[in-house]
Formats: sequence, structure tokens, C-alpha cells
Amino acid sequence: MSFSKAFSPALREIRILCSQTGAASAGTRQFITSKYPAIKQHNPDLPVLIREASGTPARVFARFEMGVEKHVELDNLSAKDVESKVVTLLGS
Amino acid sequence: MLRIVASASRPSSVSLLSVAHRRNLSSTSARQADITLTVDGKEVTVPQGSALIQACEAAGSPIPRFCYHDRLAIAGNCRMCLVEVARSPKPVASCAAPAMPGAVVFTNTPLVHEAREGVMEFLLSNHPLDCPICDQGGECDLQDQSIRYGSDRTRFHEIAGKRAVSNKDLGPIVKTSMNRCIQCTRCVRFANEVAGVEDLGTTGRGNDLQIGMYVEKMMDSELSGNVIDLCPVGALTSKPYAMQARPWELKTTESVDVLDALGSNIRVDSRGVQVMRVQPRTNDNVNEEWISDKTRYAYDGLRFQRLTTPLIKGPDNRFVTASWPDALAAIAAGLNQTGAKGNEIKAIAGHLADTETLVVLKDLINRLGSDNLASDLEGKYGNAPPVHGIDVRSNYSFNSTIAGVESADAILLVGTNPRHEAAVLNSRIRKSWLHTDLVVGMVGTRADTTYGFEHLGEDAKALEKFLSGKVKGEFAERWAQAKRPLIMVGSSMAEHADGEAVFGMLARYVAATGERIVREDWNGFNVLQRVASRPALYETGFVPSRAATSTTPKFIFLLNADEVDPASIPADAFVVYQGHHGDRGAALADVCLPGCAYTEKSSTWVNTEGRSQLGRAAVPPPGAAREDWKIVRALSEVLGVDLPYEDLVGVRDRMWAISPSLVRWDGLEGTSLEVAKAGLGSLMSNFYQTDVVSRASVTMAQCTRAFVTREKTSLEGLGKEPLQAHA
Repeated sequence: MSFSKAFSPALREIRILCSQTGAASAGTRQFITSKYPAIKQHNPDLPVLIREASGTPARVFARFEMGVEKHVELDNLSAKDVESKVVTLLGS
Repeated sequence: MLRIVASASRPSSVSLLSVAHRRNLSSTSARQADITLTVDGKEVTVPQGSALIQACEAAGSPIPRFCYHDRLAIAGNCRMCLVEVARSPKPVASCAAPAMPGAVVFTNTPLVHEAREGVMEFLLSNHPLDCPICDQGGECDLQDQSIRYGSDRTRFHEIAGKRAVSNKDLGPIVKTSMNRCIQCTRCVRFANEVAGVEDLGTTGRGNDLQIGMYVEKMMDSELSGNVIDLCPVGALTSKPYAMQARPWELKTTESVDVLDALGSNIRVDSRGVQVMRVQPRTNDNVNEEWISDKTRYAYDGLRFQRLTTPLIKGPDNRFVTASWPDALAAIAAGLNQTGAKGNEIKAIAGHLADTETLVVLKDLINRLGSDNLASDLEGKYGNAPPVHGIDVRSNYSFNSTIAGVESADAILLVGTNPRHEAAVLNSRIRKSWLHTDLVVGMVGTRADTTYGFEHLGEDAKALEKFLSGKVKGEFAERWAQAKRPLIMVGSSMAEHADGEAVFGMLARYVAATGERIVREDWNGFNVLQRVASRPALYETGFVPSRAATSTTPKFIFLLNADEVDPASIPADAFVVYQGHHGDRGAALADVCLPGCAYTEKSSTWVNTEGRSQLGRAAVPPPGAAREDWKIVRALSEVLGVDLPYEDLVGVRDRMWAISPSLVRWDGLEGTSLEVAKAGLGSLMSNFYQTDVVSRASVTMAQCTRAFVTREKTSLEGLGKEPLQAHA
């Protein structure tokens, strides 16, 4: 699974929480800038909510069918690790 | 004191732009070095240019005053603030005198006491002794200060009796009793500077000075209620509140207004179970200390047309009162009977839905397998995801912040009339327009804004023409040079056929101008929301999915949705309405659930900037009405859906997991530059992929990649993908 394809239709919403400036969220921010356009391009109708708040731990939530939510912690991870974590989350 | 606005009469035409630089005799001076002076033997340091009264306040010496007000121009005509300054032969009016370095000021000497007593004697000589029947009683500056500074007897006897002044008719809000007026002219200054009603003024002089419009005229302003707070005596009082209560009977509750999307800070005064009045609370970041008349006077609507018990529509189409368990069971039965599955279960959120309930309802609908989370936008626009998207907060928020409007040097209004959508914000623009060189341009329906603007056209074409630089004129010139240009898009653009084009156009323009409009220290792209619930709706992701848009709903849950188009509700659908007023939404419903109005629940509201604020319950809900999120939570239990929270703390934990800024009350979380840019990028409508066919097309996807996102993908990858797709 990669970001250059449409995700499974079971995936209903992605929510990325991170800090605007915090060092712990640096990888997540980098992930957003590099991958968000691609995700949006292949999944134009999937909400990818980016919700920033200062000092908040970086996390990503995925909501699947019937309101099932899963999330992973992304604090202090590099952009690459963030990517692999997100891929496993979305694939699960 | 009327000089200030005299050079800038009420503008409604273009030509006034050209006098922008001489709107005011004085403009706000740059902040200068601090100076030090001595007040009552205490050294105090204040910025140069402060009034003496501010220095005295800073030193902790209270100065009585009637005419002086922090947010208005200085008049210096009540003389109540006299203080003694060393080496000055006479007492000095401290509001009109600048604080000078090294000055030695006394506020508590026999000379000062005598001067204040004299002033008070003059004021009272013509003031009627009707305190027992005056509405200002108990919160009257004249009453309070005469107790403290006045004399116990008067030496002044007028044979003809006290001065009599005829009352003025200022409309349905401001009640006048002009005999009580002490000519402080606060109302005149407010009307001229802040509200933009330049008809209110003074006539005559000395003892004959009168406040009024000269000709009989109403005070046509949506901020007129503020003169009642400003009036230090009972000359201007509130008509709806007349003879209703005394201030010492009232319980005050600090809360937040929800009748527009500004989130003005209010104080709800209640007696027993009734809201008696609503007053502003100072918050310099939001509403300063003004509120609009709708905020202030709509509260009597909280007493009428209320839903007080659950209602179930009987077979003869009449509502029958029911108990809570019956009503919830009826909903469960209705859901079963319609057989609604997946996106056929629809929720529509209205204007006054609070954040907690939105979160709980979204979880409930999601867990029922549906993504059909609509809102009551104009027409059918609420049934589809909003054109500005909700991925990035800065795409639907007022990013420059409300206070930041004052630092803008050019404002472009697109499809909005801030005077009606956010009256208090409009007064900020007027303030800035009066005191700085601000220029305003408008695309959209021409409106009376209380400041001068250049009308650039009515439609998207006019906007395109302006953005492409084909418009000549003073505004275009000044816009091009502006350091802090501000674009304000009305939320109604998301409910307009041209909405997508307008947002796309603006996003491309912002990107093309590079650092000019969106940069690290300034985000000049703003969406002005006009409905209290919408920012929270978008923040929590309460929007329908694309697939849900085309589904015909069988079960509809209306949460405070009263602006919904009845034609959009299928006749055979089972409709539940939850809200506090029996209006359009309740009329459509099969089951009505009575909820709380904003003065009856402690809930979170997100304003147009994205600032979340906590409203507090001032009075209990009427009858069997319950707090809204609890109703949805109870319903989930009846429907057999397990929601992972049982108390308010749990709901707020959930809000924290959705967006941490929702529970950072009163704070403002900005959007970082990269994310804001990514958000704007998603607004640029993509020529190659606009419908289902072109989105499914691999070739169009490649074109998008090459020409729109300009991704550097290897050519091999490009070649392989279509093959895989065909295989």
C-alpha cells in the first residue's frame, strides 16, 4: 500500500493532529507537506483533517466503516517512520 | 470633541476613498518611550502620550469620571476628573491633560475634593431626583459618585425649576429620559466613531445643550444598544428591559454569544429561571466591549415558542406530548421501520448546535454506518462537502484574527456584508478606516457599511477582473502596494453557484502573489463565518461524504436545523428534531426532543477565528428539556450503539482527540504556514479532474501530476500505471 493509489473505500476519514512548531511533530509536518497533496489527489473525497494545536502530541487517526477508529502515536518520529506507521494504520 | 469625525462624513460613495489620508485630525500615535511621573507620592511609568487619568489609574488612584471612556475620543467636558498638579494654578482635567514626565500629581487633596464637590453640585442641580423610578438605579455612575464625592445639600435654587428636555425617540431599543442627561456626550462619540451614525450630535450650548438628532430620527445602527451601557446616568436606558429588574436582584453568568459567528463575550443576567438581559463582557481579542443589538436583545425569544416536552406525531398528524423513554423508543422504532441503512441515515446540523452535541451526534451517526452529516446551508449546499474543504482550518477560518483586522492596510470584501454578518467586526473596520489609511474594496451586492469602499462589481467576473489586475482605480493601486492586504470572503460564497470558482480564483491569486498575502507573520486569507455552529462543524469534520450526497435519506435527525429546506426532506422519511424552539424544523418532525438554548447549557462554541470559548448555563432549561449532548447519548443507548463516554469530561476527552484546540478554551490556535498553503492548494480547482469521469481517468491523473501538482514522478512509473489499470 502506498500513497499513490486510492485507499480502501472502508477508510472514511483521516485525522492528523500535530503541533505547529514543536520539534516532536517535525516528522509529521514534513509528512503532511510531502504526502498530503498526493493523498488528496488520489482520494479527492476523503476528508484528511489536519488539526494543529501548539504542543499537542503528533498522532494520526483513521476512521473506518461503522465508526471504528484506530490511531498511532507519531511523536518524535522522522517523516519516513511516520509514513510507514501511517501505511500500516491505513492498511489495518 | 466632534472634530474627530467631522472631516469624514458618512461615506457611501467611491469618491471618499480619495480623502482617506485626512479622515481624522489625529491618528493613533506611534507608541513612544515611557515616561515617569509621581501620582500621590507614587512613581509610575506610562507610555508617552497617555492621558493623566491613565497614569493615575496605573498608580492605583481611582479618578471619578463621566465623559472619559477608554475606547472613545476624549471630550473633557464633565470636569469630574479634576486633579491637582504641582505648579499648576488651577485643578486640571486629568482626561484631557497629557501625562508629562516628572509631573507631580495629587488626587486626594482638599482642593481636589472641593473641585469634585463643586462639579457634582452643578451636575445635580439640574438632575431630576427620580432615582427610585429610574432604571439606572443601582448601577448609576452619578448615584455612586455623588455618594462618594458629592455634597449633602445644594445651594442652587432655580425659581423656574430644573431644566426640562423633551425625550427623543431613538427606536425600539433605546429609551430616553433626557431630563437626566448630564451631557457627557459619550453616546454622541460612540455613535459617530464606532457605530457610524453621524446624525447624533449636540445642539445648543451651556445649560441648553441637548443631545439628539436635531430632526426626529431613529438611531439606525445595529450597535445602538451599546449607548445604554455607555450612558453614566439613566438618560439612555433599555426599552425591552424597562422596569423589569434591579441590578442587585440579578445573577450574572459569563457566557458567549451564539447569534453570529464572532463569539462575542457576554454576561447573562438572570433572575430565577428567566434571562433578564444580556450585557457585553470585555474581551479585546473578540468584541472589545461592544455587542450587537441582536446579541443583546434577542433573549426575549428564549421565552416564547419553546419546546418543553418530547413530542410524538400521532396518526392524525398532531403532536402528542410524551415521556422521554417513549420518545426515544419511538425514534428507535422509526429507524427500524424505515429500514434505513448506511448513508440513508442522515443528520442535519443547524445554526445553534453546540460543539459537544456535534461530536456525540457525529460519533453516533458514524457508528450507525453512515457518513451523511449534512448542515443547513442555503439550498442544497449543505448536502455536499463545502467547497472550501475542511481539511485545513485556515480554509474556513478568519485567519488574520479579529483584532488583526486593525493592522490590515487594504481589505477586499468578497460576497460579504460584515455589518450584518458580524456587526462588531464591522466597527473594527470602521475604527481602522477612521484612524489609518485603510482602503476597502468590495465585490458583491452593494451595502451600507459605515465606511467608504470602492465597489468593484457584483459577481465572480468582476472579482476575476480585479484579481487579474485589469481594474484601474485608487483601490487597485493601493491594494497592489499594501503590506498587509486582507481578503475577507463571506461564508455565503460556500452557498453560491460561483463558490467553487471564487475560492479557486482566490487561492490561485494568493499563490501567485507569493509572500504578499499568506506568509509567516500574516495570513490575509479569511473566511468570515456568520453562523455560530459552522466553524465547529468543520473543525469536527461534520460534513457529508461524496457518496452520501446522492443518497435519498430515510431517517433524518435534525439537530437545531431550522433553516433546512422542507422540500429537501423526503415525504416518507422518519424525521427527528432536536432543538429548543418549535419552528420550521420541529414542524417537519415525527418526534421532537426538547434541548437547551445557549443560555441553559455549558458548552463549547468555536468562533469564526477558530477560537473555542466556553458558554455557561445561566438558567435551567424549561420543562423536561435536557442538555443536548445527553439527549444524543441517551438515544445512542436506545439504538444499541455503544459510545465510549458517559460524562462531560469523557465528551471533552473525545473532543481533544478530534481537535485539541476545541478544548483549549479562549486560546487561539493558528495554522502553520505550510499547512495553510497546502490547504489553499487543495482549493485550486483542478482543470483536469472535475467530475467522476475525469477523476477516474488515468490520463487526466497524469496530466494533473504533470501540470498541477508538478510532482517529479519517474517516467517509468507513469508508463506502468495505465497498463496495470487496463490489465
